[in-house]
Amino acid sequence: MSDVTFPVGIDVHEQFANADQQRHAAQLGMWIWLVTELLLFAGLFMVALVLHIMHPGSVRAAVLHFKFWIGAANTAVLICSSFTMSGAIMLSRMGWQRWMVRCMLATAALGSLFLLLKGYEYYLDYAEHMMPFVGQPYALEGDPASRLFTNLYFVTTALHGAHLTTGVAILLWMAWQAHRPGFLQARQNRIEVYGLYWHFIDLIWIIVFPLLYVVGR
Amino acid sequence: MSPLDITLRDPETPRSTLGRPPDYLHEAHTLRSWFFTTDHKRIALLYLATITAFFVVGAIAAGLVRLSLIVPNGQIFTSDTYNKLFTVHGVVMVWFFLIPSIPATFGNFLIPLMIGAKDLAFPRLNLLSWYVFIGGGLFTVADLVIGGVDTGWTFYAPLSTTFSNTYVVPALIGVIIVGFSSILTGLNFVVTIHTMRAPGMTWFRMPIFVWTHYAVSLIFLLGTPVITITLILLVMERSFGIGVFDPRLGGDPVLFEHLFWFYSHPAVYIMVLPGMGVISEIVPAFAQKRLFGYRFVAYASLALASITFFVWGHHMFVNGESNLAALVFSLLSFAVAVPSAVKVYNWTATMYKGSIRLQTPMLYAMGYIGLFVLGGLTGLFLATLSINEHTHGTYFVVAHFHYIMVGGTMLAFLGGLHFWWPKFTGKMYPEAWGRVSAIFIFIGFNVTFFPQFLLGYLGMPRRYHDYPPEFQLLNIVSSAGATILAAGYIFPMIYLIWSLWFGRQAPSNPWQAKGLEWTTTSPPPTHNFETPPTVDFAPYDYPLRTPADV
Repeated sequence: MSDVTFPVGIDVHEQFANADQQRHAAQLGMWIWLVTELLLFAGLFMVALVLHIMHPGSVRAAVLHFKFWIGAANTAVLICSSFTMSGAIMLSRMGWQRWMVRCMLATAALGSLFLLLKGYEYYLDYAEHMMPFVGQPYALEGDPASRLFTNLYFVTTALHGAHLTTGVAILLWMAWQAHRPGFLQARQNRIEVYGLYWHFIDLIWIIVFPLLYVVGR
Repeated sequence: MSPLDITLRDPETPRSTLGRPPDYLHEAHTLRSWFFTTDHKRIALLYLATITAFFVVGAIAAGLVRLSLIVPNGQIFTSDTYNKLFTVHGVVMVWFFLIPSIPATFGNFLIPLMIGAKDLAFPRLNLLSWYVFIGGGLFTVADLVIGGVDTGWTFYAPLSTTFSNTYVVPALIGVIIVGFSSILTGLNFVVTIHTMRAPGMTWFRMPIFVWTHYAVSLIFLLGTPVITITLILLVMERSFGIGVFDPRLGGDPVLFEHLFWFYSHPAVYIMVLPGMGVISEIVPAFAQKRLFGYRFVAYASLALASITFFVWGHHMFVNGESNLAALVFSLLSFAVAVPSAVKVYNWTATMYKGSIRLQTPMLYAMGYIGLFVLGGLTGLFLATLSINEHTHGTYFVVAHFHYIMVGGTMLAFLGGLHFWWPKFTGKMYPEAWGRVSAIFIFIGFNVTFFPQFLLGYLGMPRRYHDYPPEFQLLNIVSSAGATILAAGYIFPMIYLIWSLWFGRQAPSNPWQAKGLEWTTTSPPPTHNFETPPTVDFAPYDYPLRTPADV
């Protein structure tokens, strides 16, 4: 078994009294960061809700153009990625460093699949003249409220996509760090803290999907 | 290192430095040891230098605005230049001076000392937030000074998105970047206060300064992301035509005002709450009395931080808000007066029958209380719907928020700077000069801003370049006051820097104040305490004097 399991631990930084304090601080720090992320998206969600209430007809016209099945597929992809990320966290606690890296790579692959599908969806939107800001005539011309909702769709999904891209990049970087033995002995906490971030990106999508694709359909 | 080694290395070391305990200032002298430091005390001083520089830029712009308003017909500057000047003043003072002022300097320096920690929880993040701050700040200031922006600090749509021909986007990008510095600082404070308190430092043994910074960090964390996304939407609209605020593109300009004030009203409490923390330290120390109603003051800080998120609509009473919404926002705005008044009463009750010493920090603190009461009460006028109709967008509003931001935050900042200067630098400032400048600032401030209440009530609108000749007298008085105020700012810049070399050596606790930061040496060692402290005393445990104190 010794080639599978590695010692698990944490290097204590000098400002902390002990490892527990450091673990607690790091996790609390990430939770707080996630609260700020939620508030960042909350502004967009609020605008979407206001539009749903004030202009239900226009929003419906826009929503019917969005690609429901691609969005649904992406939801499934992200839920699977959360599952593999949870696996990575469990394996990191057990010290199975190599299997943990494999789980992290699987998570990154699923994240990339999401981005690919999203890119294809943007291409379809472009082809259907649902990108009012690129200069082509807009498919729902003469309906400014639907145009605002479409704009909001692009801002929200692009912001989410930027978070996911960052997430995949960090995941690959950490997987590269963890390909050598000893990673878990010094930095197991990073996997735990990063896991919170990944699940959170997933959670944001779980709010984005019904709000932009489903409600009003 | 023995004293002999020091003399060998540097024969000009003053005798007073020989044989004293090691401290964070003299541990290393290289530029590298400053710009790559992770010591919260050094980062605080980096912030202090940076925000002082930004303050000078904003103050010069304010001086030019006051200069222009001496004559009614606007002959001194063109209207475009005037618009750019008040935008420089507003953007720099609000975003780059007032918001980071007390938290990033005193908060950074004192929170770990006050709770008995070696450092903040994330020291490298702390340094990163300074780099983010100075990067975004310099970017915007360069844009404002070289290019110029004419939207005012509020960036209202559709002026900022459609009609302005100035360099709005770079200014916005700098402000967005600086927001991340606020978020990282707030995150660091909350985690530090939750996890790094010394053994025995329970929540209700923390100084009020720490409580107010906890409250302020919550506003940083909950408010800043909203302004970030709002300004990003503004950049998107102006740069790429993704319309969110422009009606022709399907947007709504009032939506911008809602989103903007959802952050920017709480931002007022980002500026005010830390100042309240400073005053809550100074008043007990210079009255040598326990803070009256400690728990009430602590809870009032959290109450302010919560209520402030529900009053943004009072900025839009005349901008097409429904009567019902206006009524609710007006009532909620009145509610802000309750925790504010709790604090004022508690400071006053602390002073009652204390043995008061009128040294510089106390002069500033007393000035703060008076001016804050005036600013707060005029806030109630403005929250009243009918009076707001009359005074909206006039100099009455300008005077009101300057009484809060300058009379409040700036006086607290200067009071705190004098109070903790011995702890920061190990040197005493010259007391007589300190008192003179405090009095100059108090007089200069009132002469500058009280006439603006009258001007606003008489109907002079803000942000206008020319005005009817009958307003000239009051404008001249206001500009004259600004010169007194300027003198009051210049004195401390000179004598505080002078004191670094020629000031008297400071003892550990020059004010006989209570609190963990006064138990360590001045300046503190790199890890703050020679032996990690254990807390077994109540906050503000000044000796009891009369039965009324119990």
